[in-house]
Amino acid sequence: MSNFDERRALEGLRKLDSQTIGSIYDQYFSEVHRYVRYRVNDDATAEDIASDVFMRLLEAVQKNQGPQTNLKGWLIATASNTVNDHLRRQYRRPIEMLSESMSDDSPSVHAEVDSREQNRTVQLAYAKLTPEQQEVLALRFGQGYSLEETAVYMKKNVNAVKALQFRALAALQRELGEVSHE
Amino acid sequence: MNDLKYYEVLEKCLLDLEQGADIDTVLFRYPDLAEELRPILEASVKAKRMIVPAPSSDVVRRNRARLLQRAAEMREGKVKPVSRGVWLTSLRRVAVTLIILVLVFLSGTGLVRAASTTLPGDNLYPVKRTWEGVLVLFTFDPQAREVLEVEHENERLEELRELLAEGRSAEVDFAGYVTSQTGTEWQISGFPVVISDQTRMPDQPVGIGAAVRVRGQTQGDGIVIAERIELLPAGAILPEVEEDESGFEEENHEGQNPQIDDNSNTGSGNDTPRVEDTKTPESESEPESSGSGSSESESNEDVFNGTVDSIDEQTNIWTINGLAADVSNAEINGEPVVGSTVKMEGYYGADGKFIVKKVEFVAGGSGNENDSDSNNNNSNDDNSNDDHGDSGGGSDD
Repeated sequence: MSNFDERRALEGLRKLDSQTIGSIYDQYFSEVHRYVRYRVNDDATAEDIASDVFMRLLEAVQKNQGPQTNLKGWLIATASNTVNDHLRRQYRRPIEMLSESMSDDSPSVHAEVDSREQNRTVQLAYAKLTPEQQEVLALRFGQGYSLEETAVYMKKNVNAVKALQFRALAALQRELGEVSHE
Repeated sequence: MNDLKYYEVLEKCLLDLEQGADIDTVLFRYPDLAEELRPILEASVKAKRMIVPAPSSDVVRRNRARLLQRAAEMREGKVKPVSRGVWLTSLRRVAVTLIILVLVFLSGTGLVRAASTTLPGDNLYPVKRTWEGVLVLFTFDPQAREVLEVEHENERLEELRELLAEGRSAEVDFAGYVTSQTGTEWQISGFPVVISDQTRMPDQPVGIGAAVRVRGQTQGDGIVIAERIELLPAGAILPEVEEDESGFEEENHEGQNPQIDDNSNTGSGNDTPRVEDTKTPESESEPESSGSGSSESESNEDVFNGTVDSIDEQTNIWTINGLAADVSNAEINGEPVVGSTVKMEGYYGADGKFIVKKVEFVAGGSGNENDSDSNNNNSNDDNSNDDHGDSGGGSDD
């Protein structure tokens, strides 16, 4: 992982070099998938979108429209746009049932049920936030990115991200209260 | 505490939580904000704990293989650099274009319809004129185009009539024949037009019977102040003038035929060539006498007197009072001399040329206007009696 050289990766990517593309995938797929999965709350959709992000990367490179310097930034930004498109389409349809596919490595059945219930509540509340609020929470708390990194990916300044983060958390808390009363 | 400082404190608290501190410990440093910050920090903990299952190794492997296969296809040129959404995008673009075109068409036709009743000076009037231009432009049949242009000229007169009736002042332009000239007050297509010092006049003198285009300004008192008078060439498109509104004495006007009228030249005293229009009523038509063999209407035959300006023996085109007259098939009685006054019988061709059936020299070739006037008195046209009631007196000076 530490051997990954982004500049060389970009050069190899432009040549559609298999080894380079494989290493880029290995380096970033999990991160992109985590971001997408945090936001869409559905395994199959998350897999499709994460996979689509990398396909788009190849197409963009072939059209000379790919990333020039920041590969990870390009991937996260593309993932964000793709998720937003997906959510827009989803908003037009009836609300789907939330995924029940949770981690199955809980220590006990009770703990797992409890954990699932809590997680489901947070996911329901999170799903009610605006796309921008969802994005800032996904980047900051899903991905663990710093304020500065988040600001770069969201194309905002740090103060704007701070304010957005505060509003997103306040909205999440509010929605959590509403969801738990439902 | 202002918002920015509040956000700063929140960020510090979040970092502390990130380092492993619990919420109570973090809030202990900010007791005055603890109540407000607690729910926010609790939400952040929940957001961070939201379980996101990692992709299975199978998912990772499968998608990796697909990606590398895709890259290989691209390298081999099997896959064109076209995104999968291009077809959808193209279809969407076509659909949007069609919708825009339909909207433009509908709004356009609505606009044109709304503009159709406007008058000069109205906001939508330019739309009306532009639409007329477009219609003419896309009318390729010459006859249909001519009809259209006459319609538009008629519309100009109709607009002028409405403007004057309403007492509105507006810029107008219209075409027609000069039917009378009394000092600076002229009648053109039956409308009173005042010539001022500022009026731009053509180089050639404008006489009664001349086809002109007037650009000017309507006034509240029912007149048009001319800003510019242009002489129109023979064959120019002119409006149809209704008899009762034109001030013409003749009857049986038709199409674009110039209506030439002698309105007695009262007070004009100038060298304006005066033309007597003895537009023949139907009783004077001589359909059997046509020798031209033309298919053009001969039921609207005209008889008028005029002065011969020029004679072209090669083309058989004479110029009478500025009008081109084709004497190719004419019966000519007398010796053709420039300056002489002739009585001509014939009709107007589609090209505006007067097709002469019969020429009669009613006076010697003096070329003198006075002779012309005196000859006018010789006209045997009953309809011209009123017109010439004072012409003799005015012409003997």
